[in-house]
Amino acid sequence: MSRLGKIRHPPASSDDNNFKEALKQYENKQYKKSIKILDSVIKRNSNHAQSFTLKGLVLESSDLPEKDEAESYVQKGLKKNPKQPLACHIAGIYYRQVKNYAEASKWYQAALDNNSTNKGIWRDLSTMQSQIRDYKNLPKSRLEFLEEQSGYRCNWTGAALAHYLNGDYAAAEKVLTKIEDVIKGSLGESDMYEHSECHLLKNKIIADSGDYARALKDLDELVEGGEVRDGTALLEFRALYLEKLGRDQEASKIYRQLLKRNPDNVDYYHSLERTLGTLNKPAALRLALYEKLARFYPRSDPPKFIPLTFLKGDAFEKKLREYILGQLKRGVPATFVNVKPLYKRKSNIPVIFKIVNEFYNSEENSDPLIHTWTAYFLAQHYYRIHDYKNAIAIIDEAIHLTPTLVELYIVKARIYKRINQLEKASSIMEEARLMDLQDRFINYKSTKYFLRANNINAAVDTISLFTKNDETSNGVADLHTMQCIWFLTESADAYFRLYKSALQQIETVKKTPSETQAEELFNLNKDVVTYSGLALKRYGAVIETFGVYWDDQLDFHQYCLRKGTPRAYLDMLSWGDHVFHQPIYMKSLVGYSNVTFDILHNEEYFKEVLTARPVKKSKKEKKEEGKKRELLIKYARANVKDEDVLGETLVKKLVDMKNKDKLGELTKLITKSEYDLSIDSQILKFKLNFELKKFVLCLQSLNKIHAVNATHPSIGALYLKLHQELNDSNVQDAIKKILILGLTKNFGTLVKNENRELVIDELVKIYLKHDTFETGLYAIFANTVVACEKFTARLDAIQAALDPYESNYLEYYKL
Amino acid sequence: MAITIRLATIDDLQGMQNANLSNLPENYTFKYYLYHLLSWPQASFVATTTDPELLEQDETQVTDIKMDTQYVRSGEKIVGYVLGKMDDDPDSTDKETPHGHVTSLSVMRTYRRMGLADKLMRQCLFALCENYKAEYVSLHVRKSNRAALHLYKDTLKFEVLSIENSYYQDGEDAYYMKKNLKLDELLPSTFQKAQEEDDLESDLLEGIVVDGVSAL
Repeated sequence: MSRLGKIRHPPASSDDNNFKEALKQYENKQYKKSIKILDSVIKRNSNHAQSFTLKGLVLESSDLPEKDEAESYVQKGLKKNPKQPLACHIAGIYYRQVKNYAEASKWYQAALDNNSTNKGIWRDLSTMQSQIRDYKNLPKSRLEFLEEQSGYRCNWTGAALAHYLNGDYAAAEKVLTKIEDVIKGSLGESDMYEHSECHLLKNKIIADSGDYARALKDLDELVEGGEVRDGTALLEFRALYLEKLGRDQEASKIYRQLLKRNPDNVDYYHSLERTLGTLNKPAALRLALYEKLARFYPRSDPPKFIPLTFLKGDAFEKKLREYILGQLKRGVPATFVNVKPLYKRKSNIPVIFKIVNEFYNSEENSDPLIHTWTAYFLAQHYYRIHDYKNAIAIIDEAIHLTPTLVELYIVKARIYKRINQLEKASSIMEEARLMDLQDRFINYKSTKYFLRANNINAAVDTISLFTKNDETSNGVADLHTMQCIWFLTESADAYFRLYKSALQQIETVKKTPSETQAEELFNLNKDVVTYSGLALKRYGAVIETFGVYWDDQLDFHQYCLRKGTPRAYLDMLSWGDHVFHQPIYMKSLVGYSNVTFDILHNEEYFKEVLTARPVKKSKKEKKEEGKKRELLIKYARANVKDEDVLGETLVKKLVDMKNKDKLGELTKLITKSEYDLSIDSQILKFKLNFELKKFVLCLQSLNKIHAVNATHPSIGALYLKLHQELNDSNVQDAIKKILILGLTKNFGTLVKNENRELVIDELVKIYLKHDTFETGLYAIFANTVVACEKFTARLDAIQAALDPYESNYLEYYKL
Repeated sequence: MAITIRLATIDDLQGMQNANLSNLPENYTFKYYLYHLLSWPQASFVATTTDPELLEQDETQVTDIKMDTQYVRSGEKIVGYVLGKMDDDPDSTDKETPHGHVTSLSVMRTYRRMGLADKLMRQCLFALCENYKAEYVSLHVRKSNRAALHLYKDTLKFEVLSIENSYYQDGEDAYYMKKNLKLDELLPSTFQKAQEEDDLESDLLEGIVVDGVSAL
């Protein structure tokens, strides 16, 4: 083989040499030195593309003041010569660093297209393609790199996975078979786990191609070969294939083997019954089956519980009695929670009550602790059937009996929360916390209840007993770092409520003129800005944390191949595909969007407040105000460096931005989380496009919501909102035609109906029929679209039907 | 039933992270959980609630997932987990023998006394041994945590190897505990001490039809 040295390269220019030196300095983290060299190159040769892009990358990596200009240098370089392989490669690295993976992928590809000799780029490119799920182009990159380094099994696995992800199962299998043949006989003990997982991957791929018979045959060979370690997977796969092939009886025997491994897995019992064909058999037979299984697995819960889901009458009562009393006598705190699913059948409820109440009053129940746990059960029973008076009475009895049991206070606090006595609830939880300072669970409960009562400072002080508070005076920063989603969402909600309360108070103060009115209003207006800003910050923190989760995938596109965990890797990809569709994420995005829309709809008001001059104040008053602000900052600081702790700049930026930019950030977020099957996502998209006056897109979202749930409570309000545009003279006739046509599809009778009163009657009847919190929200929304007594009357009825807590919570959305 | 015990999957990790944050003082970022499952996919288990449908149920089955970070699906809330791994520490004192380590085990306070921690641990030990050929498993436990000590020592037969001074961030000492593993002694169902064993072959329904009906 000829040595590379023999090939004549054109003599390297001094610019190229200097560039190399700058690269070296960059790699050694000598950013200033690197920049100095690059500046001199650029000065001499303003066409040296790679020096521009490198300067961008170096700036981005550094803390230098010109860091903001990093991207402009990268772009300058690419503009000067978009085909210079080094410039392209560096741009790829830069965009990877700033987490713009699509752009990174583009420039890695460009480097390779322009004959970069650095084959390692194929690997980096495949990482980017995996991250952005560009499965169409992934196989080529993985195969090119495999060509380069075929001595490593991980590269074969990577190529196989790429084919699989691209939907080419046959090619995936072929690659896996080939490497199996190559390495036969040369594997050491440390390779065997990976080997096992690769076998199972191939078997899964065969099954996923739909050929269960061949997958089963392959599984037989794997068992024969004895190289697969994951015995549970072997059995689960086998049971699945047998069932797919209609060999249920054989499958049932496999589920019995699985039960020996894990007799507490509910799914195995269901699968066993499914394959035995007993699911539609008489209850007596099923019960006998479970009694047998309970003898095999006497300490497992499922064979005892599952019969309660299908038994009726005396048999139900007998088995339920055994189940409940067995647990109560052992002092199992979760006894109630364990039977709670049974409340979904109304006739069960009196039976449950009878059993427990009789036991509570019987002489058999003489142990004070068991007596207490029984009262604890009854309190939860009353809570479940919304009888709060009795719930409180009996939990107080329990506490009187055993005042040291933390669990009792948790239930008591929850009852008070439900009846909307939030401060009382929180003080009960705090009482419990003080009884067990070592326990983080009760600390968490107490913190949460403080937040529900909008007492943020007490919440922060409490939770900070369990956080790292090295750099700040409390745990708020640490909770951000540790990605404590529950705390972030609960704080966001608390700030949201405080923001709405301030608005409420403004209305009240305005109605009652007084000497201090001006000052009060000034302060409340400031509160509106502060708390809306903080709500944005906290919802934003959740959104950011999910962004970090998404980025966390990055390292694993290569790691899993090396570690030999391709099956788990595929699970990660599916998880990642839906990470931004998760309801808890959506909730924060909805919160973030609601506050943003609020601010944009009341832009003039926010502008005024932001620039308002304070009412004349004495020195003392000023000092007090300064203190208040200091305290606010202390309890809100989310990281040491934050210069906008209260989110005021965030609000100001939103108000000051040019109109077309205002929704830019939100558009990005909403697009990222768009999902046809998520109603919340479609509602957000509707609202966003309505702001942007893209009514046809609104129509699309409305139809998607209708497809998921044709009577979803949001539909009425959204329909009204869109329908109103038909009367707006600013909307083009062509658009109106599309809208009428589109609305007719799902709402034909409504569209044709000219009588608005009748239309509203229909909307209330179809979409606002349930007495739920969510329906209440959309009754409020509908009323903002068309103010109308029919909506408010329906809302009143919903609020009357709801528990006090939820009923009151709706008040926050009325403003 | 409210409870089922099963292998942890990637979809469970956020719920596990949040369960950890509300139960224990030692917390980790999400990536550390990912690292566990993507390095040792068979070594971690969860206990979750379930919400089975009933025969002739009156209430409509809830399909929405509750706005609680410990829920992983509708009706499925993580109430306990064990996060297991193999020791891959380059500074490990024992690099010769493959051995496992329990990073974190937690059961929510309100779900205690049902043997969940015991069951989670048994799944974990069996899996570490079967999949990764772990010859022993080790863990740390707070000196003050008597319930955990009882579980490991008396129920699971771990032995205390040493006391590590100020092991925890708050300065508390830890017991360093260890248990040797042999696969044929670890099958989880054998610890139920059943009088009857499933022979895995005979017809489960044989004789049941008559007996079952007459029993009611």
